[in-house]
Amino acid sequence: MTTPARPPYPPVDVERIGPALGARFPNVVLPDQHGAPVDLHAVRAGRRALVLFYRSAAW
Amino acid sequence: MELQRALPDYERVGLAVFAISYDPVSALAAFAEKHGITYPLLSDQGSIVIRRLGLLNEQVQEQHAAFGIPYREGANGVAYPGAFILDRDGIVHEKRFLENYRERETGAALLEQAFGSESAAHGPEQRASGPGVAGRAYLDAPAYRLAQRRWLTVELQIGPGLHVFGRPIPGGYVPLELSVAPIEGITVGEVQATAPRPFQIAGLEEQFHVHEGRVVLRLPLTFQRRVEAESLPVRLRYQACSATDCLPPGTLELALPLVAENLVDLDR
Repeated sequence: MTTPARPPYPPVDVERIGPALGARFPNVVLPDQHGAPVDLHAVRAGRRALVLFYRSAAW
Repeated sequence: MELQRALPDYERVGLAVFAISYDPVSALAAFAEKHGITYPLLSDQGSIVIRRLGLLNEQVQEQHAAFGIPYREGANGVAYPGAFILDRDGIVHEKRFLENYRERETGAALLEQAFGSESAAHGPEQRASGPGVAGRAYLDAPAYRLAQRRWLTVELQIGPGLHVFGRPIPGGYVPLELSVAPIEGITVGEVQATAPRPFQIAGLEEQFHVHEGRVVLRLPLTFQRRVEAESLPVRLRYQACSATDCLPPGTLELALPLVAENLVDLDR
């Protein structure tokens, strides 16, 4: 299997983007798919969590 | 969608799941309804939070050009795709962001990798493949100890466009089944596996359940004493089908080495 060619733009240093390891994930309050406000840490309620970022639900 | 399928596994281990994108609520509502999404899809319209968190993808135009994706009006503002794993105090325990725009991780894979179900120090792995699938198996440590539980893990990668039957299933179909040869001195527990999803075959009334993508099966083994056998025969029976027809049922057979830890103590 051949390795795909590197894209021509600088690669993202994944260590440096977003909240750092060991830091508390920032407070986030955003509406959900029902339009209801969701306070992430409050809804998390002391559980471990997976917070997924994705490009778009529309494309 | 794959995350939704893995959701019962996340819920079973007590994890909360959130997904964030720059889509408006209306797009998320449509997406959630279409795919039966039950976990929160958060709307960061205007990419305020995405920007604040430093996750704004500023290279989206170049990336789209490099990968041959036609540039979309309004693509500016998207986040880098990836995930944060938070511990019980909300601290970032792990970050998984993908350099390669084309890579994806299934829900089950994220779960296993993030929460240490697969230890880096596991025993030697064996690989095998058959019609429609490839598998690998390993014990969670290279050696066994008396009265200690060892986990056998089998990972099955199912070919694209194919599914493998799980249970419950009507008679006459071959469901996924993991077994090990009985060895005196080894007590075998119950198989745990990522949950299959319900599946309907057009024209048939019975309810099927299928696995797609990557399936992880785990089987607990307890060594009551030192065993004579030097390897553990592992057998995975399955049948892979596409939307239109089925490949012949297959059996993956692997043999994992059995090594007793600290032989001096066991002989005492």
